[in-house]
Amino acid sequence: MAIPHPREIQMAVVNWLDERYPFTKAVDESLYQRVPNFANAFYYCFGGMVFILVAIQLLTGVFLSFYYVPDAGTPGNSPAYNSVLFIQNTQYLGWLIRGSHFWGANILIIMVLIHMSRVYWTGSYRAPRELNWIVGVIMLLCILALSLTGYLLPWDTKAYFATEVTIRIGGLTPPAQLGAFIRDVLQGGPVVGPPTLQRFFTIHVFLLPGLIVLLMYIHFRFIRAHGISEPL
Amino acid sequence: MADAAVRKRGFTRRTFLGWWIGSLMTATIVTALPPLLVFLWPAPPKGQRKGPLTIALDTPMDQITDGQAVKFSAPTSPNSAFIMADGGGGNAAGDLAFGGFVVKNQGKINVFAINCSHLGCSIALNESAKTFDCPCHGSRFHLDGTVLRGPAPAPLSHLTWKQGSDAKTIQVDGLTLGF
Repeated sequence: MAIPHPREIQMAVVNWLDERYPFTKAVDESLYQRVPNFANAFYYCFGGMVFILVAIQLLTGVFLSFYYVPDAGTPGNSPAYNSVLFIQNTQYLGWLIRGSHFWGANILIIMVLIHMSRVYWTGSYRAPRELNWIVGVIMLLCILALSLTGYLLPWDTKAYFATEVTIRIGGLTPPAQLGAFIRDVLQGGPVVGPPTLQRFFTIHVFLLPGLIVLLMYIHFRFIRAHGISEPL
Repeated sequence: MADAAVRKRGFTRRTFLGWWIGSLMTATIVTALPPLLVFLWPAPPKGQRKGPLTIALDTPMDQITDGQAVKFSAPTSPNSAFIMADGGGGNAAGDLAFGGFVVKNQGKINVFAINCSHLGCSIALNESAKTFDCPCHGSRFHLDGTVLRGPAPAPLSHLTWKQGSDAKTIQVDGLTLGF
């Protein structure tokens, strides 16, 4: 029996898959799209950069969660803080993963603002693309909420008082009863304490990443439906 | 055309059943939602209870000199916090504080909660200027608790206290947190 050429093996595998689901067609449709000449400019890449940064955040976030312990513990002995120290100082490449997550978060917000400025500048938010602008603004709020909740997780003094301040700002919502309700729900108790860390961890790690992935999918489907907007 | 034909038939059994099932599903969701929202609101943990906390001061009460401020913290085993007696700005009566200052100013003793009235950061004593300074946004308070410099909009909150069994201890109204 002759040894098959690698190309033949590849064809056999692809054909086997394609007979069961039109993978080739799906990949062709999603990847081989002609980019209009007017979109061949660096400032049309900012959205893609945001996407790559979000992907980096998801990846490094999963890595961090292998070692991070969402337990505030007791004063002077906090598993959360100790686990961040462990990631930063002891675990191989921990400083790189945590540093990437930290700086990625900072650069992400800058890139989101640049991307939004470009969309504004080229008028890409106009009819019929208003819904995509709205989805984008919701994603901006998600990213700001992710930044807020992520800031508490190291459970050091800066994190604690930054959260104290932001929760107090939320608590100043009028009327006073509504403000108190918002504060209690965010804090998970009468003070910023271990229940707050638990809540913020869940929001940061489960709720918002899931939401933002869903919204990104909707965002991209809208772009495909509308096409890239023509210049003004 | 098919749409027009369906529309002409008016209110059929299928329309009724559609509305019936739709209403049932809506009612189910509407009934389930309020309890789920209440679930987000934390219930107080089992060990949580109000009561006076006994605090040992670094300087006995009768040895505090005029213009001196003595810092103290809430007990951490079990975790406790002080209850503010009054409020203003970001502080409100009933809010919790993890520390405080006993201050003697012009012969008068005050016990303040440690939280800045702006957004709740812990104020620190500025020994040389004889003021309380907030590290977060730069508010400053006189030793009598009034605002020297903003952004703090209101004076410091007081704590309710009384002298303990000896000069070294005071009893401050507080809350054992239960976590």
